[in-house]
Amino acid sequence: MSNTINGSDVRKVVIACDAGMGSSALLKTQLAQSLKPYGVTVEHTAVNAIPIDADVVVTQAGLAGRARKSAPDTPVVTFQMFLGDPAFTKLEAAIRDGADIDG
Amino acid sequence: MTAERLRLSAEAVRLGAAAADKADAIDQCGRLLLELGAVEEGYLPAMHEREHTIATYIGEGVAIPHGTNEARSLVRRTALAVVQFPDGVDWDGSDVRVAIGIAASGEEHIGVLSALATTLSVPEQAALLRTTTSVDAVIQLLTPAPENDPAEPRNEASR
Repeated sequence: MSNTINGSDVRKVVIACDAGMGSSALLKTQLAQSLKPYGVTVEHTAVNAIPIDADVVVTQAGLAGRARKSAPDTPVVTFQMFLGDPAFTKLEAAIRDGADIDG
Repeated sequence: MTAERLRLSAEAVRLGAAAADKADAIDQCGRLLLELGAVEEGYLPAMHEREHTIATYIGEGVAIPHGTNEARSLVRRTALAVVQFPDGVDWDGSDVRVAIGIAASGEEHIGVLSALATTLSVPEQAALLRTTTSVDAVIQLLTPAPENDPAEPRNEASR
């Protein structure tokens, strides 16, 4: 069920939300800025339209099931809070340090 | 050709509103989007449908109600509608003071949403957004920094 990728192999992070126009759009710029130094691009989509070249999917916990169904071979990182959730800093640290990302 | 970047206009900001409940607040955001010519009537039910799927509360007293992916065809143009509720609205147990209705057909609104995220990460600015009586102040708080505007033409030489 769970997928793993090493942070150093991540090139594209996709933020998925229900419609792809609200919460994922809200988070996109900040995550893109924090991951840019590591050569990682960030896109945002609707949860049912996750691109196959996504290395990691980021989504709110309530959508995790749909995200895993949509991208069954990709680690799905979940968060509870839009502002200041530790999941974002943990993801950045894993990419920076080349640690495994499970989800 | 560069994509048009969304900027909030004064007409898209309503301060000092009151709502009976969450559904009323979502309706007010939807009606403002309708008045702005951004959506078709059918977008409003889609906003409630989307909210029912998973709430759009994002923290710091702010919610971002919007339609479903399927309702994108009912969006005439990308727009945001900011409605402030100084007395608060019960949003599934969260106290919402500002609801920002979103109608998006493309990416033009990302800059304003990134400005929102930045504003909400600074407690004093978040408080100002919730309490200000100045439309200009709201527009200022939701104006993206140039580097956060994805549609801005890239100028690598200027760094």
